[in-house]
Amino acid sequence: MSFEWPWQYNFPPFFTLQPNADTRQKQLAAWCSLVLSYCRHQKLFTLDVLEAQESPVFNNKKIERKLSVEAIQVVFEELRKKGNLEWLDKNKSRCLIMWRRPEEWGKIIYQWVSKNGMVNSVFTLYELSNGDETEKEEFHGLEDWMLLRSLQALQTDGKAEIITMDDGKGVKFF
Amino acid sequence: MHRRGVGAGAIAKKKLAEAKYKERGTVLAEDQIAQMSKQLETFKTHLEEFASKHKQEIRKNSQFRVQFQEMCATIGVDPLASGKGFWSEMLGVGDFYYELGVQIIEVCLALKHRNGGLITLDELHHRVLKGRGKFAQDVSQDDLVRAIKKLKAMGNGFGMIPVGGSYLVQSVPAELNMDHTVVLQLAEKKGYVTVSEIRDSLKWERERASHVLDHLLKEGLAWLDSQAVGEPQYWLPALFSELLSRDVTPEEANQMTP
Repeated sequence: MSFEWPWQYNFPPFFTLQPNADTRQKQLAAWCSLVLSYCRHQKLFTLDVLEAQESPVFNNKKIERKLSVEAIQVVFEELRKKGNLEWLDKNKSRCLIMWRRPEEWGKIIYQWVSKNGMVNSVFTLYELSNGDETEKEEFHGLEDWMLLRSLQALQTDGKAEIITMDDGKGVKFF
Repeated sequence: MHRRGVGAGAIAKKKLAEAKYKERGTVLAEDQIAQMSKQLETFKTHLEEFASKHKQEIRKNSQFRVQFQEMCATIGVDPLASGKGFWSEMLGVGDFYYELGVQIIEVCLALKHRNGGLITLDELHHRVLKGRGKFAQDVSQDDLVRAIKKLKAMGNGFGMIPVGGSYLVQSVPAELNMDHTVVLQLAEKKGYVTVSEIRDSLKWERERASHVLDHLLKEGLAWLDSQAVGEPQYWLPALFSELLSRDVTPEEANQMTP
């Protein structure tokens, strides 16, 4: 399914950080929404700031407008404040994008497990994210770091336990 | 010499004549009033027949409403003048415009965070019709204009700005004076305007132009585009043609500050 761009994407001023505070607030909210939707659509879990500038999200070639690096940083800071972004380095050049938070993923995974009557089974992380059985699920292809955090969230809730196995980690669901 | 008309006798005679005329006048007036009463009765009956015959028509047919309104204007009647009375109760004219007013307010509120409270009459019409559904009554732009005038009279912050042959409907009490209005009209053509365009078309000083544009930015009616070739462009979401048919998405609704 092709990505549906919001109306702001084709509105030239959208790519200029607005001087008016109220308008800027609306603009940033729309950018946050757009970045998260886009990453979700493309199943992107990390972003590199320099690469991002050339990505279609921040660069609309059709109307010849792009978000400046400074503006991208402002958008990322907004996302970080909302809990959807984490910097991977001190220089803020790469980040993790959480278009879904770990707790939300945990819930989805657990739903799948209980729906298929697999409570009390043990899975390796690989089986969960890349196994044939999970191919149709949303969490298929979930990157390890996110999978682990999701399972940790479930563990906190008492719904799972992460176990260390010979060749990696696994999880048991309750 | 004996003069006629002057003297006590003449005066008394005059007074008697006056008294008789007065009496006659009273009698005449009473006659007239009786006649007028009768005519009014007949008129009232006719109006009631008219009302029952045309009430449906008024609700369903926008062209009929225009002609009806024009007829009322000719005889000096404003069917929307008061909530009670013959016009609204018997004909339901008031109800129709009241409900339309409520719908207009809803559409404007739903889009306010996008366009700052400014919307073209075309877009408003399009969305009102959409909201009414396939089987609802027909609503014309004339109907919208009348309903908005009513809203304006009730002090709801509504106003209409003539632009490019139609109107921009303002639904927030942003202060817009003649200077602002004229710049909005200039922006209508392309959906944006620049300082140079204002200076060329209106022959204003740079400062006056900047002042107006800053005000539009401050009121949330315009956005700044500083990547335009040459000089910054000031765009108005209300005039952004792509928005005309774009519904408010759930995401957008979540972005709206309460």
